[in-house]
Amino acid sequence: MKLNAKALFVGLILSVLPAVHAQLAWEKTEIDLHPKLGDKEAVATFKYENKGDKPIKIKSVRSSCGCTVASLKKDEVAPGEKGEVVATFSIGGRTGLQQKSVAVETDDPKEPALNLLLRVAIPAEVEMQPAFVYWKTGEAPKPKTITIKPGEGIKLTKVDVTSSSPEFTTKVDKGSAAGEFVITVEPKDTSKLVSSTLTIKPDYPKTLYAIARVTPPAEQSVN
Amino acid sequence: MRDLVRQAGVLLALAALPAIAQAVRYHDRVSWRAPAVAKDEVTLEQTRGWGDRVMWVDARPDEQYAQRHVPNALSLNEDRWGELLPQTLEAWAPDKRVIVYCSSQSCAASHEVARRLREEAGLENVYVLHGGWETWLEAQR
Repeated sequence: MKLNAKALFVGLILSVLPAVHAQLAWEKTEIDLHPKLGDKEAVATFKYENKGDKPIKIKSVRSSCGCTVASLKKDEVAPGEKGEVVATFSIGGRTGLQQKSVAVETDDPKEPALNLLLRVAIPAEVEMQPAFVYWKTGEAPKPKTITIKPGEGIKLTKVDVTSSSPEFTTKVDKGSAAGEFVITVEPKDTSKLVSSTLTIKPDYPKTLYAIARVTPPAEQSVN
Repeated sequence: MRDLVRQAGVLLALAALPAIAQAVRYHDRVSWRAPAVAKDEVTLEQTRGWGDRVMWVDARPDEQYAQRHVPNALSLNEDRWGELLPQTLEAWAPDKRVIVYCSSQSCAASHEVARRLREEAGLENVYVLHGGWETWLEAQR
């Protein structure tokens, strides 16, 4: 089979067209953030430059989560002009590694849509496991435990617990690991429905709340 | 004529190469099919069969919850996790199935809230509403 050289050349050009770079060049499309203990938010700045010869319009920037606000100073980017999309992630009560994206829509025909990614590694402060202990009505009132664990770089020497109801007794002991504490919770009686909020105050500026309850028995099994 | 067809075939194959390469490279960024019901999700139809043994949990931000929510749903979002968790645990009962929802199919907050209810509070029978708030809203029309 003899291939027409011109046709082959045109074919090759056509084949690489979709891979031609977009006009808007991003310095980074993925950013890792490491906020410090106590930080309320983490901010990622995605920088771009219009490397083409035509102005580009950024039609929208939308984040994947209500916890992240994406902002843009200018939506028209002239050739050679630089700019940035700032994504502010609100830490709130979130924990661990969080991955959020910001969808950018432009009128650049070569790359009309792009996802910017931010990964936020939230340091653990003081962890409580579990946050809920319960007994079903009529169940033996055996003690249950809640473990308090300090995050990296945090040293706990003391934990105080108060129960909002006198129907539960609590006791705090040191745990097996360094800095760890174990709270033992026990209902006085499981024949009646009672509930208590346990206010847990370690010697660290964070108050934790756990719930202890005697719940109604399950009326019907849940499958 | 046969040569022309062959050449056209070769050219089409060449043009397809970058497309295939991009599809392989960016396979995780493209939605290839309608989202399936994930393992921890339930459909609205399934929840209807559970009658009043359902506890609704709204994982959306406070302002969206304040605007409108599923009747009797409790607000539990990660912005104020520590403050809102106790009221959810106070309302929970062993025979309840917890259904968490957030704003849409692409919203991950409901999955995260459901995971934390299972792992941090030790609750069982915690599910995410497939399609989220929009699905529930659509069903009301």
